[in-house]
This record gives sequence, C-alpha cells and structure tokens, in this order.
Amino acid sequence: MRYGGDNRSRLLLVTLIVTSLFLITLDLRGVSLITGLRHGTQSVMGPFQRAASSAFSPVGNFFSEIAHLGRTHAELKSLEAQNSQLRSTLIDRKNIETQIKQLKSVLNLAGNGGYKVVNAKVISQGTSASFSQSITIDVGANAHITRDMTVICGDGLVGVVKEVYASTALVILESDPSFRVGVRIAGSQEIGILSGQGTDRAILQMLDSQSTVKVGDVLLARGSEGGKPFVPGVPIGTVTSVPNSAGSVSQLADVQFFTHLHTLGIVAVVVSPPVSDPRDALVPPKPLPTPMPTVTIYVMPSPTPVPSGPSPSATKK
Amino acid sequence: MYTRRSVNTVAIFLIVYLAQIMIIDQVHLPFGGFSIFLIFTLCWSALSTPEVGAITGFFAGLFLDFAPSSNGPIGQWALILSAIGFGIAFLRYGDDSLRSNPLSLVVFVAAAVVVAVTVYIAFNALLGTDVGRVAQLLRTVLGNGLWTLAIAPFVLPAASRLHQAVFETGEFQ
Repeated sequence: MRYGGDNRSRLLLVTLIVTSLFLITLDLRGVSLITGLRHGTQSVMGPFQRAASSAFSPVGNFFSEIAHLGRTHAELKSLEAQNSQLRSTLIDRKNIETQIKQLKSVLNLAGNGGYKVVNAKVISQGTSASFSQSITIDVGANAHITRDMTVICGDGLVGVVKEVYASTALVILESDPSFRVGVRIAGSQEIGILSGQGTDRAILQMLDSQSTVKVGDVLLARGSEGGKPFVPGVPIGTVTSVPNSAGSVSQLADVQFFTHLHTLGIVAVVVSPPVSDPRDALVPPKPLPTPMPTVTIYVMPSPTPVPSGPSPSATKK
Repeated sequence: MYTRRSVNTVAIFLIVYLAQIMIIDQVHLPFGGFSIFLIFTLCWSALSTPEVGAITGFFAGLFLDFAPSSNGPIGQWALILSAIGFGIAFLRYGDDSLRSNPLSLVVFVAAAVVVAVTVYIAFNALLGTDVGRVAQLLRTVLGNGLWTLAIAPFVLPAASRLHQAVFETGEFQ
C-alpha cells in the first residue's frame, strides 16, 4: 500500500524548501552572517583536509595514474620527445657559441693584422684520398677564393688553400709533412724555415748558423711576394726546445703550433694582404703567471725543559 | 528520545561527512568519482519516513553547502536534498516491492544521485555559474550514477544498521 503522506509532512517539506530558498537569497545578497558561517566551517575543516591530503595523496595519485594511464603514457612520450629536442637544441647552442667565439677570435686577429678575410666553416677534416693533413671549408670560387691563399684562425696560421672548387676549398694544414713556411722570430727578426711533422709540433731551421734561438721565442710568418701563399705577421708557434747542435750547419729548434688543429670550426681565408707589414703586432700576449699562495711557518723555540727527576738536595739527607 | 536520536544522527552524518572530505575527496577517481555522503544520505532517507527523509536531506544539504569544495550558494544543496529526500522516502515508503528488494533500492538511490547532481548543475547554470562543457557534465553525472551502483550495496547495510540503532527499526542487514 502506498504511503500517501499527510498535510503535516507536506507542510514540513514546504517549510524546508522555503527555508532553503531563504538561505539562498541571503547568501546571494551577501549577508555577512552566512558568509562568515561558510568561512568558519572552512577554517575548521582546513587542518583536517591538509592532514588528510598529506596522508592520502599517494593513494589519490595512484588512482589518478590508473585512471589516466593512457593519457599519462602519451604525456610521457611527449615529454621524452620534448626532452630529446631540447637536448639537441642545447648541443646546437653550445656548438654555435663555440663557433661564435672562434669567429670573434679570428676577426679580431684579422682586424689587428689588417687582413681582408672571408670567413669559412670547416665542413670536413682530412681526406680519404691521401694521407695529407687537410681540411675542407665551405667557401670556394664563388667567394673569390683562389689557390695559395693563407688560412688563419683566432690563434694564428692554419694552412694554405691548395685546391679550390665552386663552393668549397681544400686547405693543407701547417702540420702536414710537406708544409713549409718562411718564418721570423718576433723581436730579433731572424729568419728560418718551418717544416710540418704530421703532429702539432714542427721543426724550425734557421737560415743563419750564427742565429740564436731560445725557448719561448715566438714565430711569425715572414710573408710572401704579393701575400701568397703567406701574408706577413701571422703567429705560427713558439719554440719549445733547442737541441744542442754544435758543429751543425744551421740551428734547429722544436716548435709548438699556436693553433689547435683538431678543434677547428671557423677559419678565415685572407683574400687580401695588409697594406703594411704588421710586424710583431700579432704576437700573442704571454700568459700571466698564476699567483702561488705563500705559506709562512713560524717556528717558535720551545721553553727550556725542566728536569723531572728529584733534585740533588732532595736526595741528600 | 527525540534529542538523543537527533544527536546520534548528526554524529553519524558528521563522521560520514569527514570521511568524504578527508578520504574520498583526496582520491582522484575516474569519471568524477562519487560522494559517499550523498549516497549515505539518500540511503538514510530511503529507509526513513518522508518527514525524516526531508529533514535528513535538508540538514545533509547544509553540510554539503558548507563544504570547502562547494561553489554554490548556501541552501542550494539543502533545497535539492530536502526535496529528493522527501521524494525517495515517499516513493519507497509506500511501495512494498521496493521495500522488500535491496537491489531495487540500490538502483533507486543511484537514480536519486543522478537526479540530485543533475538538478544541482542545472541550478548552478540558472544562477549563471560556469558549469563547464556538456560532455564533461554528462560524464560526471553518469559516472556518479555508475559509482553509486557500485558503492551503494556496501553503504546500504551500514546505513541500515545505523538507522536501526538510532530509530530501533532495521532492514537489509
């Protein structure tokens, strides 16, 4: 049998509905008592919620992960792809920063020497066609590059253009065993011939047997007629050792190149020699000695030792 | 007698309310999850007379209105639940087939939850509150209904035992 309800229950329902509507009206009108009650409740519940949140958040996250498994996996894939792209961008950026540094350095050298240069990027190192030490640069005949032009970088001489193609050129490095360059010693201006040895070192042979070479001497390119194949004043290397060559026809010395030939990125081809010889203007500054901390130890004399044994007077009775 | 019943009922609802905001609300369940407080309230109302159902709904609605997560005006849930509490008790109390069948009561409660949530959303929309996209709302409403179908069979025996303890009558134990 269905319960039909009576007037009392209907009256109660109407009263509750009217009360609810009254509360809604008060709240919507912004009565401070209602708003204060809500704020009070939330203040009381806040600590409970915070405690529960810290206790149940791992469980909540677990359920959330299950619920969004597909989405999480997709997000993970997307983030991995983004991460990979960012890593690639970072490597590119570092590469570009290094190239900018090299470019600034070479432009600085060219500016100080008064050389007119065309910048180039090294696009390959070495060649499989021969055992010669060479690089390929991304400028060629279309940039008015011709054979026997000097190639420099920020540290000094790199080599000489050996072959020119439409958009590339082959540069023979100064370390190549067939490489020869006329040099002079900065300061004394004594001259010699530097020969590549296939490594980052070379052999200097002075033309005058009476020349005096000492360790630390800086070698600069002597320069050729018309600036080809060598423009004058380009730094090449520094003397690292002078073997005892008593009785030999000419003085020999070991030379360390300034240029790090394995890390070449940006180079410059000198297309026009300087108006005047820069002489020793491009000699790299000597590195400043690193100050060594001085440790001073003061030794203080120890006090005169006191005899620990009994005094003679004490032993005599 | 009346005071003792009221105090006991308020204490029970307060515990369920705390369980709702401290546990259930912290677990991010799919499809909008469920409200154990709403399910318990409607179960309680369904086990009561229409007068008690309406009063239960009203005060339970006030609990929800004062909840930190509530975004409607105070009195909104009270209005909805007093009407639905009265309705579910009225329909169930006079229908012998519903009274004797716990499964039908579960379905009844699930339907009442769907109606309550739908009316709440509609009320918010009428008041100009941004209620979100229709697809999202449908998902939430239906999700609540399905969750209630899954949870109510566990809540109903507990509600029935407590109801019996308070009012000294019991069903579906």
